[in-house]
Amino acid sequence: MTSEVKRAAVSERGPGEPTAMGFIISSIVFFVITALVGILAALKFVWPEYLGSMSFLTFGRMRPLHVNGILFGWLLAADMGLVYYVVPRLCGNRLWSEKLGLITLGLFDAVVLAAVFTTLGGWTQGLEYAELPLPLDLGVTVAWVLFGVNIFATIATRKHQQMYVSLWYIMGAIVWTAFVYITGNFATELFSGVNQANLNWFYVHNAVGLIFTPIGLALAYYFIPKAAQAPLYSHRLSMAGFWTIAFIYVWTGAHHMLHGPISQWLQTVAILCSVMLIIPVWTVITNFYGTVKGRWNRVNSDPILKYLIAGTTFYLLTCFQGPMHSLRTVNAIVSKTDWIVGHAHMAVLGAFSFFAIAGMLFAVPLMVRRPLYSAKLAQQSFWLMFTGGLIYFVSLWIGGFIQGLQWNNPTIPFIDTVIAMRPYWIARAFSGVIIFAGVVLFFYNIIQTIKGGVKPVAAEPRTA
Amino acid sequence: MFGKFDKNALMLFTGALTFFLIGGLMTTVLPWITEKSWGNPVAGLKEYSDQELRGRAIYIREGCWYCHTQQVRTLESDVKRYGWRGVDAPISLPGEFTRDKPHLFGTRRIGPDLARVGGKYDKSWHRTHFNNPRDLVPGSVMPPFPWIVTSNGGKDLDDLVAYVQSLGRGRDWRPNHDYEQ
Repeated sequence: MTSEVKRAAVSERGPGEPTAMGFIISSIVFFVITALVGILAALKFVWPEYLGSMSFLTFGRMRPLHVNGILFGWLLAADMGLVYYVVPRLCGNRLWSEKLGLITLGLFDAVVLAAVFTTLGGWTQGLEYAELPLPLDLGVTVAWVLFGVNIFATIATRKHQQMYVSLWYIMGAIVWTAFVYITGNFATELFSGVNQANLNWFYVHNAVGLIFTPIGLALAYYFIPKAAQAPLYSHRLSMAGFWTIAFIYVWTGAHHMLHGPISQWLQTVAILCSVMLIIPVWTVITNFYGTVKGRWNRVNSDPILKYLIAGTTFYLLTCFQGPMHSLRTVNAIVSKTDWIVGHAHMAVLGAFSFFAIAGMLFAVPLMVRRPLYSAKLAQQSFWLMFTGGLIYFVSLWIGGFIQGLQWNNPTIPFIDTVIAMRPYWIARAFSGVIIFAGVVLFFYNIIQTIKGGVKPVAAEPRTA
Repeated sequence: MFGKFDKNALMLFTGALTFFLIGGLMTTVLPWITEKSWGNPVAGLKEYSDQELRGRAIYIREGCWYCHTQQVRTLESDVKRYGWRGVDAPISLPGEFTRDKPHLFGTRRIGPDLARVGGKYDKSWHRTHFNNPRDLVPGSVMPPFPWIVTSNGGKDLDDLVAYVQSLGRGRDWRPNHDYEQ
């Protein structure tokens, strides 16, 4: 490594896009840290006393650290970074204010860092996905408003009148998220019992459905045609997908409490809308596969397209499982089991993280104006994450389904259903190590791309 | 029909927000107005004592709710499994949770449901179990919590056990008030 030469090359470049780059670097650092925390949590199912003699290393602290770290520290920051990259390119201008962007980055990272300590210390609001204490919620909200102002101002001053589908999803996500986040983290504080639980599930469900889904799809809608070097299959389908998702997704929160102490009509509404979600999902999937049609040979050689197509396929599967889980009979078996954990990991890792990873592998080389450090490494990280992910999902589906069936036979003591899970939990911990290896290779590849290489390449044209 | 929306950002913003608000209001604000049962406590539900509230804070701090749900669902398997000595557990009613803030319904049963656990085991059982669950339940994957048993001269344990013994007792479901202390 001729690191001095490389460093000199870095310092010669202009300011570039520090906000997008800052969010991307911050997100991949948290990706590595919180994926590791996931392994520690998984090992506790195999050795319950492992790292358990100190309160801050118990499962009750590791789990929220993993979940919040992945959702906010990694995925949300990654999505924000890529939105800062994509939006100016689709608008034919530059980000409205890099200065505001850097302030947003500083605030967001300060909140995420503080959250690591509050979570380890057991300072929690006791609501899923909304564990962070109120002052930190306030920080997230302000960061999101600053992010929204910057993106909307960029869109308002755009050079192209026609807005590409990615821009709709991004605008939708920004405005929906503001409402969803405030409901889940502030409005819930005014209620108790079932009233509070209903708002909590509204938030939990829509955090995935109206934050990570629309931004993830916005990125896929941008990067799939780019990576496949093909036009989008159908503009009309993308419109149908966007407006049906905007209307239907929000109704489904109560499917988290099927058979529970919540009104039947609300459960039924949630089930109906969950099943109808098949419509927007299939329009999106048809569009993505259709775009790559005739160019499948590229998937073989291009790790970026591999991540995108695997992400699309996992998105299809996860969004087929979701409606099925919401059916009362299926729910009676899989609800509260590890099946759901497998499902959640397919959505967050298999679909939305894969979209974000593909976006970074595509965008970072263009931002630093040099090729990706190693395409081979990107292939290897893909296969590790893909294989590890599949082992993870499938082992928990099988184990969870069996446990669900066992629970439905009240003569089997609960502890026997726990002991039956052991082989699947061992497989899960093992798969976590494989996924983590892939995450580390991805991290190393991106960092080396940013740091190294002296061969400048022509930048992508700024227009979409 | 939606063609105009992809040229006019303000229209798209308004349309997306309107669609969202229809479903949002119908599933959050409407039930809050119409579902009186969600906010009315069942007869006989007492407010938590200060001690039970301190115990509840420990339960939340240690993340017990990540592995234990608190809801007997409308499923025969729940009613039978979480009953005690041949008596079925009553299905959880919204009115039993009006004092719960935050709610602890939970999503995952890594361990058993605790909605009706109050009075099933006595305090010495809980002391041993919190110290190391595998001493009483071989094969359990629950973490040991020795610091709860020893800290504050045993006061934390008293508080937590008081809370656990209160669970599901809003309704007197055991014949002859047959509850362990």
